[in-house]
Amino acid sequence: MYVTDLVCEELAELQLTLGEGPCHDVLASAAPVLAADLGDTESSHRWPAFTPEARDQGAGAVFAFPLVVGAIRAGVMGLYRRSAGPLRDGQLGDLLILADVATLLLLDSLGDGDGGAADGDGDGSWLDGQSPDLALHRAEIDQATGMLTVQLRVSITEAFVRLRAYAYSEDRRLADVASDIVARRLRLHPDPEPDPVPDLGP
Amino acid sequence: MDADLLSDTFVDLADTMVADFDIIDFLHLLTDRSVALLSASAAGVMLADPRGELRVAASSNEAAGLVELFQIQNDQGPCLDCFRTGQPVTATDLAGPGQQWPRFAAAATQAGFRTVEALPMRLRDQVIGALNLFRGDPGPFDPAELRLGQALADVATIGLLHERNVRCSDTLAEQLQRALNSRVVIEQAKGKLAERLGMDMDQAFTLLRDYARNSNQRLTDVAHNFVTSATADFPPPPRRIPAQA
Repeated sequence: MYVTDLVCEELAELQLTLGEGPCHDVLASAAPVLAADLGDTESSHRWPAFTPEARDQGAGAVFAFPLVVGAIRAGVMGLYRRSAGPLRDGQLGDLLILADVATLLLLDSLGDGDGGAADGDGDGSWLDGQSPDLALHRAEIDQATGMLTVQLRVSITEAFVRLRAYAYSEDRRLADVASDIVARRLRLHPDPEPDPVPDLGP
Repeated sequence: MDADLLSDTFVDLADTMVADFDIIDFLHLLTDRSVALLSASAAGVMLADPRGELRVAASSNEAAGLVELFQIQNDQGPCLDCFRTGQPVTATDLAGPGQQWPRFAAAATQAGFRTVEALPMRLRDQVIGALNLFRGDPGPFDPAELRLGQALADVATIGLLHERNVRCSDTLAEQLQRALNSRVVIEQAKGKLAERLGMDMDQAFTLLRDYARNSNQRLTDVAHNFVTSATADFPPPPRRIPAQA
């Protein structure tokens, strides 16, 4: 969990303790929850324990975003505002893109560091000069990810990490690699078993 | 226009809304019936993602070539113009000279389409997407077809909002993201299934959809369970209970 201030931390802890709240709902449904006014009746109905406590902490609005890529779940991003009111024009789009970036960072941190992550240094250096591929979505990337679960015999999360790592190591666009996989011009293979220690023999 | 097909379509759409509702399945049914009712060769529903892209939510044929034709329209094409203006957009001869969207027209013509129509999906003053129709022959759709097409586009909008009461545009935003993520889950499932069973993406989609219907499960749930299960094997189809005579 990463938090920016004490109120954030309180709100996150509250939801964990109470088992209810906007971030909690997001985990279940993989859809954003935009609670623009914690003072309205809908909030009190939806989160009867969380809402009054959150307001006591000074939160007027809470916006929670799933960090997901289809069936891949990396986490939840929660934001609060002291004043109630909906997101302004353009803020929603920006927050969704921010969520995409956060998703990629979290997924890359799952990599084993040995070429398992697209960001070999683990310091976000892939962000330099590269727009997150999630921002221009293509069905082929998702299809290729699904195909890799079978080719590599790994989970959907691992398949996505490996797909991005491959594109990064080959210095190719993710969409182009995905296109090749879907068209069956490219297959990825599971890592071979390490060679046994050679028998030096007589 | 086939009156029986028309009434069957609305009955089926309403049934889908009442039963375990799945937005992607609903939109797929809608594109499928649009093709039959409006004498189109292909149809698709595009949704406007607040990140700034048009995303394919459903396509009457899941083959890669058609989906690509929808995705191209992020740069130019009738759906983009329709989304920006909120008005229907037509082109009646994509093979002729002086095309307003040269790259799109070339790709569409190559795919065998000569006429295209984009009908806006509107909620109050906001355009949330478009119903895109393609036809192999040049020449316009007739006015009655376009009126029905617009009604189907409006039904698509209603479907998107079905699960929640609409109080403000935020609820629309939540539902839209849910639908877009469901689409991603389905694409992941198509890939896994196509690779496992050695079939193409269209066949894989049909298998998923038919399995969901026969087992009374939501399409997205079937897709999600398949993608996240440790096994790559697709569960065998449930035994069909024969209809009562």
